[in-house]
Amino acid sequence: MGTFRLTVPGRLDRIREITGLVGEAARQAGFDSRSAYACELAVGEACENIIKHGYQTEDRGDIRVSIASLPGELTIELVDSAPPFNPAHAPDTRDWTPEDPPVGGLGLLIIHRVMDQVQYLRRRGHNILRLVKHLPPEAV
Amino acid sequence: MEITTQEYKRLTVVTVTGRVDSATSGDFESALHGLIEKGRFNLVLDMAGVEFLSSSGLRVMVSVLKTVRQAGGELCTAQPAAQASDAIAIAGLDALFRTYPSREAAIASF
Repeated sequence: MGTFRLTVPGRLDRIREITGLVGEAARQAGFDSRSAYACELAVGEACENIIKHGYQTEDRGDIRVSIASLPGELTIELVDSAPPFNPAHAPDTRDWTPEDPPVGGLGLLIIHRVMDQVQYLRRRGHNILRLVKHLPPEAV
Repeated sequence: MEITTQEYKRLTVVTVTGRVDSATSGDFESALHGLIEKGRFNLVLDMAGVEFLSSSGLRVMVSVLKTVRQAGGELCTAQPAAQASDAIAIAGLDALFRTYPSREAAIASF
């Protein structure tokens, strides 16, 4: 259906450009507004992690995004040149209670709850995070 | 993001609109902590106009909720837009916040 590409500086106020593109690609893949928004949320969290935990601060490098949009399937690849940072392991939520959740770790939780696949690769000095979301067959 | 506050005798309504994310959550936190410092511990968060709510915004909400509860107060949400309620649910925080379908119902709960 389509490929979308964008490179933005690693700044928190530029994340919305990436999430906006994710929403556009998701709608083109046939996602309804809620599924598209969930993908925007997850990718926004991944970008925030790249800036805060990878680059450690703003303006240290770029985030390159490419999105492949197929009917019922969205694949988002985020590439950055920060030191190795792997968000592909789901957070351990065994100690969480609804009454007293920790204030950290929510971003990772959102990524793993929304996306069907979270893959991390370190290649030639770059972190590559691949996020895949499928719609249920009956929704395609 | 825009924040407006309306003070009642027993509570304060905080109306937040737009995008509550890592770029704006600092202002969101400052506004809520400003109220806490004034002794306003009963807070209604009107989220009807929220267009995006990331974990940064959720962290502020959880942290403020814990603070006001320790002081005998409460933070509840009113008429959250789907973007707000979906983010709260995905993060598994829907059991944490008392949510009301209207601002009036939230105000009446205090």
